[in-house]
Amino acid sequence: MDLINMPGKLISIGDASKLLGVSIDSLRRWDKTHRLPSVRNGSKGHRYYRQIDIDVFLRDIVTLAGQWASAEKGITLEQDVYCQTRDIFQARLEKLQSSLQRVVASKATSLLSAIAGEIGNNSFDHNLGNWPDIAGIYFSYDLGSRVIVLADRGQGILTTLKRVRPVLASDGDALKIAFTETVSGRFPEARGNGLKFVRDVIVGNPFSLDFETGNAHLYLKENDRGIIITPEEKYIRGCLAIIRFENLV
Amino acid sequence: MIIDLKKFGTVLVSRPSGKEAWLAFQPTLNETKENEEVVVDFSDIAVLAPSWADEFLTPLHNRFPGNVRLINTDNASIKATLATLAKQ
Repeated sequence: MDLINMPGKLISIGDASKLLGVSIDSLRRWDKTHRLPSVRNGSKGHRYYRQIDIDVFLRDIVTLAGQWASAEKGITLEQDVYCQTRDIFQARLEKLQSSLQRVVASKATSLLSAIAGEIGNNSFDHNLGNWPDIAGIYFSYDLGSRVIVLADRGQGILTTLKRVRPVLASDGDALKIAFTETVSGRFPEARGNGLKFVRDVIVGNPFSLDFETGNAHLYLKENDRGIIITPEEKYIRGCLAIIRFENLV
Repeated sequence: MIIDLKKFGTVLVSRPSGKEAWLAFQPTLNETKENEEVVVDFSDIAVLAPSWADEFLTPLHNRFPGNVRLINTDNASIKATLATLAKQ
């Protein structure tokens, strides 16, 4: 981004790091992926951030969900993004489906609604009666930015899958199994295909998915063959899912 | 026997609602003869996800093996869900 015609307060990358509670390395990575673009200043091209970009980012639904899911203490959410029960989620999912119909084709509408429904209901299925602090899920979407966000403060995938795979040791291993093997933390019920379905839909369509649990992060996009999981410094207490469809024609 | 799925709703995604549909439909299924064809009509279903389908279609297939026929399955989420169930 060019500084010409860029009025307003500029913030150093160090101060932006403190404001957002993330490392400087994360900010550099977000700059490269355009999640939070910087502006360059001076002969050395140091990164700076516009105050307005920081403010918008802090209000961004993705950031809010991440902050809520990673906060040490559970805090009550605004009603417009909070689904305390499955019934509320179902009603809002139907509203999403109806709203999507106006902006994307019917194929994308049904698939995006189905994977959002599968991820949201997964949170309820695996945490019913066992929510550590706040029951229910964060569910929000921005059809202008083409993003759907879901989060929970449940037990997370590692705790859930450890019941059937006691040797599992890390969030990353658990996340990989959840997306690649038919295994359920609700043994002896024969189930556990929900996240495989999500994966198939994402890789078969112009969608992408960021899925985080504990300190593991999975990123999937159209035509991906394998699963790549990277560690995150932020610790998600349950699960955080970000579905994007900005590449949809 | 024709099961008109839209009578259970048009956004069929959760396990509890799939299980409830299966249980609620038992009295009707009990009237079905052993070798009678069971047709599942997906007309007007907007969204189907594997969690719902696994609680309704899987036990239906198990109860009437070889006699279940699915029609009007053109919706993309129905196709994707059926593909997922077929891998099980």
